Amino acid sequence: MENNLENSNKILKTFSTIRCLNRDQLPRYLDGRLTDVEKHLVEQHLVDCDLCYDALHVLQQPQYRDKYQSLSVSIQQYIRNSIKQVSHIQKAERYQRKEQKKESLLIYFWIVAAIAIFAGGIYLVQQGNRFRSLSSKPLASSGSVPTIQASNREEVKQQSVSSLPVPRPDTAVGQAGIVTPSPVPVKESSVKPVVKKDTLKAAPVVSKPEVKTDDTTVKKPVVPVKPPEDKEEKKATPVVVQKDSPRVVKEKKADTPEAKIVPKDTHKDDDDKKPAPSAPTSTDEFLYKAAMVYHQQGDLNEAISRYKHLSTSNSKYGELARYQLAVCYRSKGQTGKARRMFKEVVNMGGSMKDKAQAALDNL
Amino acid sequence: MLQQLTNLSDKELISRARKLRDLEAEGVLFERYSHLLVAISMPYLNNGPGTTPEEMYPVILQRLSNSIKTQTIPKTSEWIHYTVKALNNKSERNSPFFPSSESREVQQVENSVEKAGNNLLEQQQLVIKIRHFFSQLDADEKYFLQQFYTEQKSFAELAAAKECPVEKVRQKLREGKQKIASLMMTQTDGK
Repeated sequence: MENNLENSNKILKTFSTIRCLNRDQLPRYLDGRLTDVEKHLVEQHLVDCDLCYDALHVLQQPQYRDKYQSLSVSIQQYIRNSIKQVSHIQKAERYQRKEQKKESLLIYFWIVAAIAIFAGGIYLVQQGNRFRSLSSKPLASSGSVPTIQASNREEVKQQSVSSLPVPRPDTAVGQAGIVTPSPVPVKESSVKPVVKKDTLKAAPVVSKPEVKTDDTTVKKPVVPVKPPEDKEEKKATPVVVQKDSPRVVKEKKADTPEAKIVPKDTHKDDDDKKPAPSAPTSTDEFLYKAAMVYHQQGDLNEAISRYKHLSTSNSKYGELARYQLAVCYRSKGQTGKARRMFKEVVNMGGSMKDKAQAALDNL
Repeated sequence: MLQQLTNLSDKELISRARKLRDLEAEGVLFERYSHLLVAISMPYLNNGPGTTPEEMYPVILQRLSNSIKTQTIPKTSEWIHYTVKALNNKSERNSPFFPSSESREVQQVENSVEKAGNNLLEQQQLVIKIRHFFSQLDADEKYFLQQFYTEQKSFAELAAAKECPVEKVRQKLREGKQKIASLMMTQTDGK
């Protein structure tokens, strides 16, 4: 059985793969310095390998044997050197490739980032333009300015009207006051700040002469009556003047008659000896006009905030402010809020009821 | 890196040189066969222009380097032997290396033996086949194969016994081996 196994192993070794002779085996085989087993393995390999057999055949000749060692070492050294150089070159190439990849990735990143920023910028500009067009259209084209101006005029008229009911009983007194000039300067002094405020607010340029005439008599009493309001107005007036666009100037021109009207009323008020009720309305009026300026300039958010502030007022400016607030919401596209505000105006049943109703129907 | 590459087989080094364009692997392979390459090319040294060692060996290595990327190389020794001979015998310069059918058949049988490994059943089947085809050989071939592989006699002993040169002993052994391999591949369809 064991013999069979040995024989079968030997038979299989007929076709076993054996490596070529190495650098050490070659001279040893030639010199006969191999063991029997090793020698037999070499010869098994030599049966098939022409390369090794030819090499042995050549090296058996003494003239080649002498040169063989030196040549073998030199070619080995040559290959190693070339590998070293190549490996260095390969490493450098790999490093370069990596760096190039990194650079290209960075370039792609920056290109994408630049495109994104550019697109974002374009989008923002477009949005800005759209917003401007939306905000300017209702004011400039759809006749909102005229409505506002008209509303201003109406306000003034209403102011004169609204001021009437309160002082109506006083008008008689006022008329009487006209008859009796002696208390007038005192009353005028106490009330005229209102006139001054209005003129300053609405039409500083046009109303100058009036102010000038009033200044001499009015300025001193203004301080004791309402100093904080004055301060506010004085602070606010330059803003209004600075922000005045041509439209505002036109509006001012349009408002000048109001200014002219107001003093008349105030005169009546003055005659009534009731400056207290006129002061809040003038403040509201100022706030309202300032809001109007913002509205005309297209700063809807600022205008809305001011209108909101005004809308709590119980005076007629409260109603007007609500109406304008509704207009602002409508121009901003917030129809729900606009509708609500118009309804409020309608419910209030004031002078703006019809307009609010019409606007509500149009919505 | 070089140390790791020296442990790889020829096939692995060739595949690395081809697929990864690993010149280090290529260098390790050439270094492995450099002494044989030097030996077989020595008769052609200093025989004419461009045959000095400094000129000839770089040319041979460059040729091998170019060839490794395109040639089918079942046996590295055969490929190197053919390339060096082709370069030195200038008539065969342009014909590419292609392994002979006998060589491929022997290699296939060697692969099947290697594949059998420690599997006794497969080994027994292979032994039966080899014995079967061994019986179909000539008497001379049978004698040489039996004496060489079973009795483990050397070339010199066989040559002395038959009173023939070592070259003839090798030739007979080679022919017998190739016949068995070709019979195994043709008659059993390689199974």
